[in-house]
Amino acid sequence: MKVICAIGMQGGAEIVRRLLELIGSQHELYLLDVIDSGPRNTLEDYLHGPRHLRRPPPPPPAPGRPSLPPEREQPIDEAEQAAGRTALEEARQEAERAGFQIHTEIQKGRPEQVIVQLAQKWGCQLIAIRSSEGTEGRPHIGPESVGHTARFVLDHAPCDVLLLREAGER
Amino acid sequence: MLHTIFGILIFILTLGVIMIRPYRISEALAAAVGAGLMLLGGFLLPGEAVQLLAGEWNIYGFFLGLMTIAAIAEQAGIFEVTADQTARLAKGSARRLFLGVFLAGALLTAFLSNDATALILTPAVFALVTRLRLPVLPFMFACTFIADTASFLLPVSNPINILILDRFGGGLGVFLRYLLLPALFCIALNIAVFLFLFRKDLRGKYKLSDLPVVEPPDKVFFRFTLVALGVIAVAFVLGSSFQVPLSLVALGGAAILLFGAWRYKHLEWGRLRREISWPLFIFISGMFLVIRGVENLGLTTWFGNGLIQLSGTSPLKASLLTAAGSALGANLINNVPMALVMISALHSIGISGQAHLGLVYATILGCDLGPNLTTVGSLATMLWLLILRRKGLEVSSIEYFKLGIVVVPVMIVGGAVLIWLSH
Repeated sequence: MKVICAIGMQGGAEIVRRLLELIGSQHELYLLDVIDSGPRNTLEDYLHGPRHLRRPPPPPPAPGRPSLPPEREQPIDEAEQAAGRTALEEARQEAERAGFQIHTEIQKGRPEQVIVQLAQKWGCQLIAIRSSEGTEGRPHIGPESVGHTARFVLDHAPCDVLLLREAGER
Repeated sequence: MLHTIFGILIFILTLGVIMIRPYRISEALAAAVGAGLMLLGGFLLPGEAVQLLAGEWNIYGFFLGLMTIAAIAEQAGIFEVTADQTARLAKGSARRLFLGVFLAGALLTAFLSNDATALILTPAVFALVTRLRLPVLPFMFACTFIADTASFLLPVSNPINILILDRFGGGLGVFLRYLLLPALFCIALNIAVFLFLFRKDLRGKYKLSDLPVVEPPDKVFFRFTLVALGVIAVAFVLGSSFQVPLSLVALGGAAILLFGAWRYKHLEWGRLRREISWPLFIFISGMFLVIRGVENLGLTTWFGNGLIQLSGTSPLKASLLTAAGSALGANLINNVPMALVMISALHSIGISGQAHLGLVYATILGCDLGPNLTTVGSLATMLWLLILRRKGLEVSSIEYFKLGIVVVPVMIVGGAVLIWLSH
């Protein structure tokens, strides 16, 4: 079975361990980290908004979204890639120990949309996703316990979805 | 009568274009066209316009000096190192890092102005927190909020302060008498509320080993810049105390840093030219002329008298109305035209004595805090984004608005009361 596992910023190794307990390791595991473009869009909207007497230079390279000047954009790009690689590596090591057949991928965009699109593209039979990022301050259980990413995936996934609750919730 | 209506229409149209920015028209162009129409319509004379702009040399010099200082400080790595050291001092605690970001932001805002914190520190903190795999938005909101909350700690902390103080005078002593307590109150409130609201997001830890190695591009240049900034900070305080035009301090400081950048072979004219927002000078000049035109029509006098009438005999009510009105106006139309309208209105009612002097500082409070109401500092733009976004507003923009609505009104009321108590 092809399983796509959305790992998030933290706790990727724990997700893989949970997956191993639930479905075993005889599967093809796609470890996916999606760099959420939402906060970056908010940052760029903020910096280019009229609140400031001055704007960050220079003009955007393409119509649509404004962008940051190279000397400010580059550290953010590097930080996003480095964080994604670290998160993936933690999960990959756990998956390797468990004996999964592993693929890793870093993507950028809206996580909920990327997960669904890639599940479709790769022909996955299962999406494993946490109920919330864990740092969102959500209650463990109840209507507010599932974050917007997990909820979107539950609603739009082209295959089965395994919703993983945080350790304290079980 | 028709002439007056035409003048009002020019004013409203200029503000409308600044608010909505149709076809991505820049504020500078809108203000320049508005000023041109005011001149063509005879609402102010060319000689009067030249005299007015020449009289505002202090604000132009201040802006130029401040932007140069911030640009060279960024180039030397000051902001990046500040963010990095804040993370190291926090020793792996997300909560301590959050507090550190607030304090670092307040310090940078106090001496380098809110724009430097908002435009340069915020992306540096964003990159740092991303790298540490902590939730980004609370830290981003911390930077953006403290940039405005701390922007009335000192006169130099927000160019709007200089704009207002240039007209009414008053040294550092008077400024601190009216605004130090409100500033400390607002900063403390900001930190306390955010620590509470984001308490679950800040439970996490990070590894110091995840911190990238941050070294300034040139340690000698970095040290030179750090020392120079210390000297500039002291000069700003002394200059404010003795009512020396702060443009002289800012330009002098910029000259020192430019010399250092040249001496250590880090002077990049291209980058410096990019960092200085030249359209800003056009925008401000245009707004000076548009507001003068409105002033000549007697509208700002009418507005000032209306403010006094609404306030009645209550200095507290006057302080509250002025602060709240300035904040709302700053968010509706942009804080520069709002500050200029308030300056003109207060000047027209003859500010004198302590009761009315409080209104000057209430204006500073409102214009400085107002932009925190929304992500983009403008209610109008917020609404525009709402209309344009096909899938509805970004979650983070709603969260920012919620934060602003909760925190900013309390700050304004609390700050205005403290200003009233300072009489």
